[in-house]
Amino acid sequence: MEGSTRTVAGQSHRLGAGGQIDRNAPLNFSFDGKEMTGFAGDTLASALVANGVRLVGRSFKYHRPRGILTAGPEEPNALVELRTGARREANTRATTSELYDGLVAQSQNRWPSLRHDFMSVNQLASPIFVAGFYYKTFMWPAKFWEALYEPAIRRAAGLGKTAGIADPDHYDKAWAHCDVLVVGGGATGLAAALSAGRAGARVILCDDDSRLGGRLQSDGGVIDGVDALQWVQSAVAELSSLPNVRIMTRTAVFGVYDSGDFGALERVNDHVPQPPEHQVRQRLWRIAAKRSVVGAGAIERPIVFPGNDRPAVMMASAVRTYVNRFAALPGKRIALFVNNDDGWSTVDAIRRAGVEVAAVIDPRGKPATGDYSGIRVIQGVVADVGGSVDGVSSITVAGAGGNQKIDADCLAMSGGWNPNLALSCFHRGKPEWRDDIAAFVPANAPAGMTMAGAANGDLSLGACLRTGHAAGAMAAAEAGAKGKSGNAAKASDEAFSIKPLWHVQVKGKAFVDFQHDVTASDVKLAQREGYESVEHLKRYTTLGMATDQGKTSNVTGLAIMADAVGRSIADTGTTVYRPPYAPVAIGALAGHNRDENFHATRLTPSHHWAAERGAVFVDTGLWKRAQWFPLPGETDWLQSVTREVLAVRNGVGFCDVSTLGKVDVRGADAGTFLDRVYINAFSALGVGKARYGLMLREDGIVMDDGTTSRLAEDHYFMTTTTAKAGPVMQHLEFCRQVLWPELDVQLSSATDQWAQFSIAGPRTRDLLQALVDPSEDMSNEGFPFMGVRTVKLRGGMEARLFRISFSGEMAFEIAVPARYGEAMARNLMIAGEPFGVTPYGTEALGVMRIEKGHVAGPELNGTTTAGDLGLGKMASKKKDFIGRVLSQREALTAPDRQVVVGIRPVDKTRRLRSGAHIVPKGAVPGPETDQGYVTSVCFSPTQNQWLGLGLVSHGAERHGEIVKAHDPLRNETYDVELCSPVFYDPEGVRQRA
Amino acid sequence: MPDFVWSSQSPLKKALVPGRHGAGKAAPGVSLSHVSDIALVQVMTRRGRNADVAKAAKKLFGAEPPAALKISSGKVVTLVWSGPDQFLAFSELPQTAPSVEQQEQAFAGSASLSNQSDGRCQIRISGPNARDALAKMTSLDLHDTVFPVGSAATTSIDHTAVNFWREADDASGNPVYVALVFTSFSDTLWHLFVESSLEYGVEVAAIGAGH
Repeated sequence: MEGSTRTVAGQSHRLGAGGQIDRNAPLNFSFDGKEMTGFAGDTLASALVANGVRLVGRSFKYHRPRGILTAGPEEPNALVELRTGARREANTRATTSELYDGLVAQSQNRWPSLRHDFMSVNQLASPIFVAGFYYKTFMWPAKFWEALYEPAIRRAAGLGKTAGIADPDHYDKAWAHCDVLVVGGGATGLAAALSAGRAGARVILCDDDSRLGGRLQSDGGVIDGVDALQWVQSAVAELSSLPNVRIMTRTAVFGVYDSGDFGALERVNDHVPQPPEHQVRQRLWRIAAKRSVVGAGAIERPIVFPGNDRPAVMMASAVRTYVNRFAALPGKRIALFVNNDDGWSTVDAIRRAGVEVAAVIDPRGKPATGDYSGIRVIQGVVADVGGSVDGVSSITVAGAGGNQKIDADCLAMSGGWNPNLALSCFHRGKPEWRDDIAAFVPANAPAGMTMAGAANGDLSLGACLRTGHAAGAMAAAEAGAKGKSGNAAKASDEAFSIKPLWHVQVKGKAFVDFQHDVTASDVKLAQREGYESVEHLKRYTTLGMATDQGKTSNVTGLAIMADAVGRSIADTGTTVYRPPYAPVAIGALAGHNRDENFHATRLTPSHHWAAERGAVFVDTGLWKRAQWFPLPGETDWLQSVTREVLAVRNGVGFCDVSTLGKVDVRGADAGTFLDRVYINAFSALGVGKARYGLMLREDGIVMDDGTTSRLAEDHYFMTTTTAKAGPVMQHLEFCRQVLWPELDVQLSSATDQWAQFSIAGPRTRDLLQALVDPSEDMSNEGFPFMGVRTVKLRGGMEARLFRISFSGEMAFEIAVPARYGEAMARNLMIAGEPFGVTPYGTEALGVMRIEKGHVAGPELNGTTTAGDLGLGKMASKKKDFIGRVLSQREALTAPDRQVVVGIRPVDKTRRLRSGAHIVPKGAVPGPETDQGYVTSVCFSPTQNQWLGLGLVSHGAERHGEIVKAHDPLRNETYDVELCSPVFYDPEGVRQRA
Repeated sequence: MPDFVWSSQSPLKKALVPGRHGAGKAAPGVSLSHVSDIALVQVMTRRGRNADVAKAAKKLFGAEPPAALKISSGKVVTLVWSGPDQFLAFSELPQTAPSVEQQEQAFAGSASLSNQSDGRCQIRISGPNARDALAKMTSLDLHDTVFPVGSAATTSIDHTAVNFWREADDASGNPVYVALVFTSFSDTLWHLFVESSLEYGVEVAAIGAGH
């Protein structure tokens, strides 16, 4: 492209040749409704530059016109709303958005248009929008906060708008594993990946960019005697040929976590209009790496001077990127303002592009080496930038001979380079200051991480290649790779010298943090008002708190603070670095786990059968359970549930109870084990018998309950509640493995093995007679209450039958292997047909257990003791068990504890509500008079009124007392009677029938 | 008296749709299959009886109990390490495998057995992209050097417990993995397996009764 100024039709600032763009692949796009053309290989930013667009957005606070500052992920200004409709994404960096055909972008934070922005009047009021503005302004009167201030601030805050509707795209999460993770695919990263890969280590190389090469794509150079881009090509070819190397482009490593786990975001399909079918938009990677080499490069920092935020004031490195990589001209008469040698390399790029160098302003004057003949060099600083919303038109330079004005349409600046050391600091590593490069460098990276190249302060190309190679080879060896790494690629070590220049101290608005509109005077004001610590500076001024996280501003801000305080930069220090390094969409963090896949679900063996019958399902933990089975004509859940309860009480019904936890407890010491786990004894339980058991936590509070049967001398079958199945299994394993390893006990979760149904009601035996083999004795004597045995069923099936009851009716639970669960449901319907068999759901189950006074989840709530539940007498005095000692604590045995009691409204037509508080009649409801609360309620079809269970102080002694139920949520207070919790068949005749 | 038919029902009756799904038309990147009739017994060694268990296993299955994180293959039964002092005896051919009663007899006094034939659901995943699909579900490193043929793990997928192992490669040299998931979770996890595979193209097959 040597000297070519011929531009491309329609792209006023595109060079006629050169760049890593595909001129045979033009792409149409629009910005703020204006149609433009770019090329494949462009970013949105480079395409805008090529089209001569300089004004790209409005700033956050002052709505100042802003352009494009950088060419990378650190961009603070050129943030746009990308795409439309449900895919609209706010705050998208134009500098990292790859151009695709049909791309639609809108500028943000402006109204009615980017050029004529109403809110830019904020600039006139800028003296009040200073550091701490919100803290100072919106304090009084306090009552204005919610009604007035907060809504107003919220309207004004933020850049861009979210889509407001669900994202139609999919995201997922994945794991990857390697010996050596190489972060960054520039010179350093490529060298590291090559040396580690050649040695045989499993390598993952991640780069945020769509192609590898890093700054080599912009700055070129000579490596091993060939053009740098050619070297990149052969390096990538070699890496691709190694089966142990995985290259992940478009992948930003955003964090490092415990034990060498890294977080990375792969933008799988951000570069196309929408993901192809079956593909995700983005993928969140968790990369487990034994070692890591971070060659993340460095970020060039701006200089703070009045007008430094005007569109077309750009980082010098970005100018080189646009010119060299994208063949796009940020200006046609470009001035340079630099304080270091690297900035001067921009001169060559501008000259080769065939456009004019207006002047180079350097407080140090011309550098010792380099050919700058014919270049206007001014020893001085930029004191102001003239122009319009469309950017720079002139520059005021302050030098030895006073101020002079220079015509230029673009100003390239370089204040030096900040090594990109974030990953080294995420485990609270504190960077160190290095005077020779005037920058912080990594000091104590997490274990296993090596910083290399520019990210480590080695700014020359030669050093990047050397240190990258060495770090890759070392990491590979430490990870156990035995092969040879070969030789490091060679390049020259260009001289780097810098004279720090943070802030040109002249009058005018000079920006430190572009995205949050923090100026040098804000930093100084913070200092004057006592916010000297960098952490206070950050929070008081919001410096570095925008979406760019201060990548171009943090170090400059603290340097200005250091100067104001009169401390060194090293003593001033940095704020704490925290992940993520780059923005990560919540959708990517959620991955597959959204909507109906928010969490895994469990289905019962009869699920599909119940669904076929129109059951309404309820989430109980992870389970989907049939809540009730509505019949045609039923319009109300209570109607269905009442029918189901009456059908059971008067005939027979069944319910899938497979969700109850089931544990096989085996071994010679199984009985002893259960004696220690339960408060009551199990070792003496006869084979073929079931018993209700209660277990406590170590602290004496009830953990869980359930029925446990003895199937053989060395085999018990425990059931737990649905909710506590997992925690109880964990508890039992802890007891077995840790507390009593000497016991011969083996545990196995059998919850999913068995399909288990409760069959209840006075016609249960009739139903079972039809189902079981005629040889089975189903009489009360042949199969007594709490009996257990395996029975033969008609049609050639065996089942476990337990005669236990939760409903208070004559009831059995029948269990078959899960694959026969659906067949069991169908066969129960057939066998029970003559008796009006009715499937029932969890609501009817709940009604019947409340009528019968059985405690469940609302009463086993992690605060109740066995005594509170009326089960204190179950506790054996002849043996020790978990929770025994601590259950005897004073507070747990206090006479005024809230214990289980029945509750019924005095007005039988009144609905009782869960959560209502119990206070004595005549008392004013409040914390002092509170005596307990209603835990469970139901409409009882057998009592024909609402009733419930509660936990009430001295409840057991107060049956018959009239108290008040107070429900502050519904603003209700009504009389209720405390009574026995057993409302139905208190003698238990029915279940033993 | 009415007739009672006891039909076996796969837990994947609704979820599993046989055939070619997802991207592309060519050879699928992933093959997924489910065998509904499996025999699975959890064998848990009684205190201090490891030698007896080894002897009985060798005699009954023709295979030693598996070493930690390994499987051990017998004639029709694969023994899968599932924790210290325990393994799973797994077979896809319940008719030819030793019955639960035979196993109870063989391990009488030396191990406690728990029949899990219905408690777990088998999912087999293979193909050139099997690892890519699995990378979305498991944190295991499935690289050949780390998880070679014969490796086993007890791990989790979507926060649920899973027994997982690698069988011999298929005829095309692609890896083959088997996951045993809790039956009640199988519907939801099957969807996860399929959805994780769609972008590579997936061939789904159901084997056995109950579909």
